[in-house]
Amino acid sequence: MKKFIIVLLTGFVIVAALDFAVGSVLRYFYFTGDSGINYRSTFSMQETKADVLVFGTSRAYHHYDARLLEDSLRVTSYNTGRDGEFIFYQTAVLKSVLKRYSPKLIILDFTGSFEYSQADYDRLSALLPYYKNHKEIRSIVNLKSPFEKYKLYSHIYPYNSSLLTIMLGNMNVNKNRVSNMDYHGYVPLHGIHTKQLDTLHTPANYSLDENKVNVFTEFLTLTQSKNIPLIVVNSPSYYLYETDYSLDAARKICFENRVPFIDFSRDIEFLSHSDYFEDETHLNKIGAAAFTQKVIHLLKNDEQFSKHLKNLKK
Amino acid sequence: MLVSYYFYMNWKPIYAVLIFASTLITYLAGQGIQNSVTQSRKKTFLVASLLVNFGILFLFKYYNFFNTFFFDVLDVVGLRMQLPNFDLLLPVGISFYTFQAVGYTVDVYRGDIQHENHFGRYALFVSFFPQLVAGPIERASNLLPQFRKTILFDYHKAIQGLKLIVWGYFMKLVVADRLSIYVNAVYNNSEYHGALTLITATVFFAFQIYCDFGGYSNIAIGCAKIMGFDLMTNFRRPYFARSTTEFWRRWHISLSTWFKDYVYIPLGGNKVGTARNYVNLFLTFLISGLWHGANWTFVIWGGLNGAYQIGNRLLGFKIRLKENLTVHRLETLFKMGITFVLICFSWIFFRANSLADAMGIIKRILSLEGEFFVGEGSSFVFSVLAICMLVFKDFIDERNISTRISRSKAYQYTLYALMVIVILSIGVFDGGQFIYFQF
Repeated sequence: MKKFIIVLLTGFVIVAALDFAVGSVLRYFYFTGDSGINYRSTFSMQETKADVLVFGTSRAYHHYDARLLEDSLRVTSYNTGRDGEFIFYQTAVLKSVLKRYSPKLIILDFTGSFEYSQADYDRLSALLPYYKNHKEIRSIVNLKSPFEKYKLYSHIYPYNSSLLTIMLGNMNVNKNRVSNMDYHGYVPLHGIHTKQLDTLHTPANYSLDENKVNVFTEFLTLTQSKNIPLIVVNSPSYYLYETDYSLDAARKICFENRVPFIDFSRDIEFLSHSDYFEDETHLNKIGAAAFTQKVIHLLKNDEQFSKHLKNLKK
Repeated sequence: MLVSYYFYMNWKPIYAVLIFASTLITYLAGQGIQNSVTQSRKKTFLVASLLVNFGILFLFKYYNFFNTFFFDVLDVVGLRMQLPNFDLLLPVGISFYTFQAVGYTVDVYRGDIQHENHFGRYALFVSFFPQLVAGPIERASNLLPQFRKTILFDYHKAIQGLKLIVWGYFMKLVVADRLSIYVNAVYNNSEYHGALTLITATVFFAFQIYCDFGGYSNIAIGCAKIMGFDLMTNFRRPYFARSTTEFWRRWHISLSTWFKDYVYIPLGGNKVGTARNYVNLFLTFLISGLWHGANWTFVIWGGLNGAYQIGNRLLGFKIRLKENLTVHRLETLFKMGITFVLICFSWIFFRANSLADAMGIIKRILSLEGEFFVGEGSSFVFSVLAICMLVFKDFIDERNISTRISRSKAYQYTLYALMVIVILSIGVFDGGQFIYFQF
């Protein structure tokens, strides 16, 4: 038994040493990467000081043309959207941003469901590399599982399954990949959707995930506590729907918190232009330009926002 | 025993009643058989035990399936009536512990073992936690004698156990759960994918199910070894088989031997005429398919494997060539390749969500059309890497390649430490569930 314990302890020490060594190397290269999805997350959380920030999923970073925003509003902007990342990630990024500075305007592109989905919790893995140095996001990351804080004693675990993306992020060739050619976080899409307009039927009623609702509300109240104008937008999709419980819930929460909620899901211009879309849920470059112009027009003509925009330019 | 029950009750406490009921019934049946004088009385106890245990299994696992099937048949002839289905959650491990307990009863009936008088010891045999939820399906003749001995800590066994656990987690987290990402994406949307994608997903599934189930078995066997108990080997590098007959001597060994001893042999085995022997083989595999799940896809999978066994006996693949090492190796590779293709074909039915899906997949594979779907690039790369690592390790074990360096302590420490590092680096920690838990 004594010998077995010695073997266990020796093995543990070797694993811990390797974990530290390999984890440190992964950490170094993760944060020295200068392109790709991880770089954009790091830039969003640790570096950007743009006047206007866009939050959301892939729809955010494909739908809001940063150049148009900047030229029309004469501001700087950055698009913090990330594939598949709903309100947990978005609020975590917001917290990291607000620790450093207060943007002048925030656009939150609402996409996702308040229904419980394990996948939404699993995707919190994207925030693990930041857990150590960003205490403000820990309460959100800990939603992933009650054991997350213990797993994070491992130096490798935060970079689990990221080996290739870390490598690519440090290679020049990565910058030339179409998916990485971003302008201030905005990545244009070039495909054209050719399928017919579909109708999504109303799903069976579901109860809202309390964590998601709370974190969404937290996003709104955080911006309000810093007096940052916020607009929540449901950007266009190329399908019709009968009822969307999550959208209704988001609209209601925004109303209760006096945050403007603009819904483009039934906008005729977009529903009659399949050529604006690459697929049912993503605008292509042409659609993004049309949509961004609409958003800019809204901002300029809304009394609250236009006043604020004037202040921005000063 | 208390630990085993506590372990089981962590899932759904009330279902511990079922495992206890199965334990009690088979214990009393064993006692009744042992104490009976006449053969007919012994048989009564045996039949009672079989009826009750398989009755419980039928109710939870097969009632809805047969209910729907039976009344679909009646519907065809114009009789529209149906009994309601039950909405019962399938108790975890019921297929495993039922077979284990029933096997005990039959062994006592046959006189292969003596009835275990100590109820606690017998209850531990049925509920032993390392193998309770997904096997290996143990034999009383192997496990009960070990429970009777005083177990002292065995350093070498404990080290072996530890290695098995690490390798088991590697198989599960690095290989099985990684491959499942691609397999699920393809098989759950099979109508949108082309031939090469479906072939790739099927091959991935072959390794996924091997590593999922084999990984769990290794963890279970490793846990038991640390405690000083030897469970039976459940997988022996199945994809190195050179025939489908050999495959079933390497795959889910505890189940295939159970079916051989308690279904195939009682049916007559190969001690009957050829035609009847083939029927026995086919039936045994058909029932084995049904054991895996209440769905026609599993029945067809079982039937297909039964057909393979018959085909093997009919054709008996023999190449008589000059004894030459290169030719022999090529012959082995060829046979392994054919066996792998046949087994993969049967996995299509096992994995497909429905019979219609399975037929659709086969049709699309045969069309040889469609683009190749990679999915998430790095996950695909890790999948291929994981299979390579698995095949390499299995090859080393299969050929029993051992050198002075590989036997050294430093090498062993480094190898297993690196395995842990690989698990941390590319293992999948989100939402993976053992496939065989659903049985």
